[in-house]
Amino acid sequence: MTLSTRMSLALGLLAVLMLAAIVHILVIFSIPGSVTHTAFSDAAAFGPDSRFNVLPDILPGREPLPDLDPAMSHAVCRFHLDEGPVRFTATIPAPFWSMGLFDASGQTIYSLNNRTAGSDTLSLLLLSPSQLSILRQNPPEDLDDLIVIETEQTEGLALLRAYLSHPVQKSELRSALNSAQCAQMDPRNQTGN
Amino acid sequence: MKTATRSHSEADFYRQDIPKMLRPSRPAPLATLLWALGILTCGTLLGIASAYLVIERDRPLQTVRIGAWEMDPTAGTEEADPYSIAIHSRGASVPLASGEGQALIARTDSSGRLLDPSCTYILSGETPAARLWTLTSTDRRGRLAETIAGRTHLSSRALLRRQDGSFEITASPRPASGNWLPLASRPQDMDGLMFKLRLYDAPVTTGAALSNAAMPVISRRSCP
Repeated sequence: MTLSTRMSLALGLLAVLMLAAIVHILVIFSIPGSVTHTAFSDAAAFGPDSRFNVLPDILPGREPLPDLDPAMSHAVCRFHLDEGPVRFTATIPAPFWSMGLFDASGQTIYSLNNRTAGSDTLSLLLLSPSQLSILRQNPPEDLDDLIVIETEQTEGLALLRAYLSHPVQKSELRSALNSAQCAQMDPRNQTGN
Repeated sequence: MKTATRSHSEADFYRQDIPKMLRPSRPAPLATLLWALGILTCGTLLGIASAYLVIERDRPLQTVRIGAWEMDPTAGTEEADPYSIAIHSRGASVPLASGEGQALIARTDSSGRLLDPSCTYILSGETPAARLWTLTSTDRRGRLAETIAGRTHLSSRALLRRQDGSFEITASPRPASGNWLPLASRPQDMDGLMFKLRLYDAPVTTGAALSNAAMPVISRRSCP
């Protein structure tokens, strides 16, 4: 069988396009798994894990993490769920604040702001499915005030954003962010605090 | 007695009465190899280049456009398209989660011209309902630049409004009266211009609800 020149050129072009489409899809899907630095890994530079570390001001050329709002003050916490549920508590004197929980790849686990939190203080418990079943048998006393979130992820990043309405309040806001808690709870002793 | 004309495939190589399609081909290993290599190289290069271009352009698939503004309501969620996931993980950025707010970006003015950091723009109109919003000027990759004022943003809390609640913002490298959004003091060093509007605690964070929302109109006033 011999193909005409035009036919073989068309077939060749089709093969190129199909191969290009396959390579394109493979590249796009391989990016999330092959990036060398993520927001989760970058956040380790701001301080120890399992506590909220206040980020420096967002100034041109010195942005601590990309794509943050310069009008906000931020604190990040890297949490690990494998040693027990993590409890987030904060009292932030700002007209607006919000917290997002993200897994290590940057996908949102949960997010809330000070209106949806229902009160001025944040009090949230993040746990794995197995820790939730322990919690059901032995519920903490203040369960009614807690937002309980279950996740399959074992580690991730919490980002607290607080609106700085006036520069005068900056030190007050920073100390509130600094005293926000992101601590591991002992899974066997949730009532004892 | 007639002699039967029978076809011999070995001998019929050059018979011109058989259509070209049916004529057996002579093996040409070198040409075939070159052909296959060419297809492989071109296909791979084209695939990688197109993936790179899409990621560099920073445009996810499921964007919602409102005038000059576009947003990616599924960013950071499980419904995010693969491009959005790739863009965010490559940039190591933390998206604004849906419970926090919604970010919108403008790369062009309302007539479709690319934003230029040395020009003066007027943003007028209103925004969708939100408890708080901030407007930030960045380069086309989302990086902040030094301005005369030392700030790169404007907030809804410190905004002069008309009686009907609408506003007018002047975005310019030089100070302006009224609501001034400072642009880079050295526009020649700046890689493009982008406006980012972040709506915090907006009741409408789904794309369908936002697509018919009122957004500020961006008009170019003057260019040096």
